[in-house]
Amino acid sequence: MLVLMDTIIHYFYFVMAGFFAILLLKNLFKRERRKGLVYDIVYSYVIMVFILRVIGIK
Amino acid sequence: MKNPQYLKILFLVLSGVLGLLAGIEFWELRHYKETVVVSEDFTEKVMLSQYLPSLKNTWGDTPIYVYDSGVPGGSMLVLGGTHPYEPATSLATYVMMENIDVTSGKVYIIPHANMSASTLGMLGNAYIKYYHIETTWGQKKFRVGDRNTNPLDQWPDPFTYVHYPSTQNLAYQDIRNLNRTFPGRPDGTLTERISYAIMELIRNEDIDIFFDFHEASLMYPVVSTYVAHDRSMDISMMAAMMLSATQFPMKSEASPKNLRGLTHREVGDFSNTLAILMETPEAFIDRVVGRMSEELMLEGKDEFLQTAAEKGLVYCDYDIYEGFPDALGNMIIGTPMDYRVGRHLSGTLEALNWMNQFFPDKAISVTFPNYVDVMNNGSGHYLHDPSKADPSRVFQN
Repeated sequence: MLVLMDTIIHYFYFVMAGFFAILLLKNLFKRERRKGLVYDIVYSYVIMVFILRVIGIK
Repeated sequence: MKNPQYLKILFLVLSGVLGLLAGIEFWELRHYKETVVVSEDFTEKVMLSQYLPSLKNTWGDTPIYVYDSGVPGGSMLVLGGTHPYEPATSLATYVMMENIDVTSGKVYIIPHANMSASTLGMLGNAYIKYYHIETTWGQKKFRVGDRNTNPLDQWPDPFTYVHYPSTQNLAYQDIRNLNRTFPGRPDGTLTERISYAIMELIRNEDIDIFFDFHEASLMYPVVSTYVAHDRSMDISMMAAMMLSATQFPMKSEASPKNLRGLTHREVGDFSNTLAILMETPEAFIDRVVGRMSEELMLEGKDEFLQTAAEKGLVYCDYDIYEGFPDALGNMIIGTPMDYRVGRHLSGTLEALNWMNQFFPDKAISVTFPNYVDVMNNGSGHYLHDPSKADPSRVFQN
């Protein structure tokens, strides 16, 4: 039972990573504040960290 | 001012290309397999999950190589790669596995005790991914892993790691450190389950002597040392004296009773085996060294560490210019890989020799290359060509 719960929590974090990747993608294209070019670059590369986690690479 | 959409897409594509390039490297390291040609005394390969089925099909499962002489005697378990970023440990087990001759007793060898930790690099330290060993038939490539279990396999870490069963509070990341999770538990985290499975192997197979190979930074007091459980102290003291007199400097320390989770303490407390941990000097993992290159990993020569040594800040002999002499007259310059591998091999043989004298009923008779052999011929000399070996003796880890 504890192993199952541990596994569920572990996979929940992958789902969270996916959620934040989508959130960042949305904010890359639609956001109200911090609209400068440099923020586009930051959003673009930060998304990759979450994508690599979701697909089980890093 | 609103930036054009095409620029956002361009940045996203560029980041994607960088992510893809990095991802390929991460994937390659995670899936790269090391090859071993086991000696003719090899009996069978079993998986650790045989001792705890919940490890099956996880990255915590790892091969155990068994060498059974069929002649009554004691039994020995050797762990390499408890901390994969200490790679002389796994290399020493490979040299052992490829050349071991067991004439009495039974030997179990696990070259990658924490398989998961061997599949990623050390975060933030610009570590090399692989190192290469020259052999008589070409280069052989090995992984350099992390200290802790891969977060892809065990995550999240808690704010405080409460060790089981002592309830001692340890650093949060040590919940993924195999040498802080012993004796483990069958329903714990992946790392705790690996520890528990190793304990089950020790208890079920009635292992008489247990070795856990490690490497230490030179500025860490417990370097070039046996760390022995209470019942193993006589063995390690005698072995350390003999090694220091005849081969290389070796210390012996007692396992602290109030530092929990480590093999030399918990394996001894929770089984009947004689538990010994060994540390060799690995300049690569010292905090003060310069560029983290393959050369540093293999030769261990670093000018910053040399300065530290000159100021008396290291706990073993170290000289990158003239070297220091071992008991055989070799000049040891830096901390070369062959020196570290040889230390583990002779450290094991000498401790076994003393166990055989103290406990003749548990005697194990084995031979494999020792410090002198490896220092004279190099570790690569003892690694065989998989393409020319009997395929039934070739395995991948």
